[in-house]
Amino acid sequence: MTDTGHSTPAPRQPAPDSRDHDDQKLVAELLASLPAPEVSADFLARINARIDAEARGGWLVLADFRAWTLGLAPAAAALALVAVLWPASASRTATSSTASATPTSRQTSFAPSSQSDWQRDVTGDALLDAALRSAKTNGHAR
Amino acid sequence: MDPDRALVEAAAAGNRDAFDELVRRHQAAMITLARVLTGGREDAEDVAQEVFVRAWKSLRRFRGDSTFRTWLHRIAINVVRTSQARRVKLFRLFAPAGRESGGADHERGTGEEAMDAVLARRQAIDRALAALPEDLRVAVTLRDLQGLEYAEIAAALGVPIGTVESRIFRARQRLKPLLQPLIENR
Repeated sequence: MTDTGHSTPAPRQPAPDSRDHDDQKLVAELLASLPAPEVSADFLARINARIDAEARGGWLVLADFRAWTLGLAPAAAALALVAVLWPASASRTATSSTASATPTSRQTSFAPSSQSDWQRDVTGDALLDAALRSAKTNGHAR
Repeated sequence: MDPDRALVEAAAAGNRDAFDELVRRHQAAMITLARVLTGGREDAEDVAQEVFVRAWKSLRRFRGDSTFRTWLHRIAINVVRTSQARRVKLFRLFAPAGRESGGADHERGTGEEAMDAVLARRQAIDRALAALPEDLRVAVTLRDLQGLEYAEIAAALGVPIGTVESRIFRARQRLKPLLQPLIENR
């Protein structure tokens, strides 16, 4: 401990009179009389646990967001790329499927024969009749 | 001569038992200092633990220019200041507009006189100290509660010794009327 000879307060400024000096002494004694605080039984153990955890690079390292966010930067960049590209390709697919789902007037006009083509119990005459009727209707439409 | 010197050298070489002994020697002083400097707003033991953890991590860089005790007090003051700066930032972010920080917390507990006399006295002293500006509070705490020499305080705070003396003098002057009831009851 450094002993400077200042163990008794001797303020340089402002110069105290004797009453000031007594007041200073009273306050100093009162403050010094404050008992030491009670220390938890596990105080030292908790310090050692923290030192050990930091030495191991334990969970406290995880609390440092800077460490793991830097490591996740490539994954984040990939996700951002997917987020940008996906909507574009998805809208293109949706457009093409919508277009294929929209029936043309020609497809509609052949629908009866197409339907009958796939029915097992339709006779050959009925099939021919349906095809001719459809062709006839198309001819009128033109 | 620093009474902690041998322990500090052993601890700096990695001896945990030596460091444990340093903690035991200074734990009460660090908790007292943390309690006074934070004005009781934070758990003094948590702050004191942070001080010792930082001390352990920096021990190899401790050159022995000052005593270990002075160095430890300097770390404690920095830990509290950093913590308070963080608190102020958080307060500004989340506190409702128009409410100012400081002071209000110290008013807590005025009706707790039913507790034992020692605790009541400690609370009264804490409140009186909390009413001081920070520079006066730190100086008088280091001198009268922690028992540091003037030169040690000057080294811990990085100010001239005359400034330390002046601050302590003014702090005691301001404390006198606040502690008058306790002084009369002694």
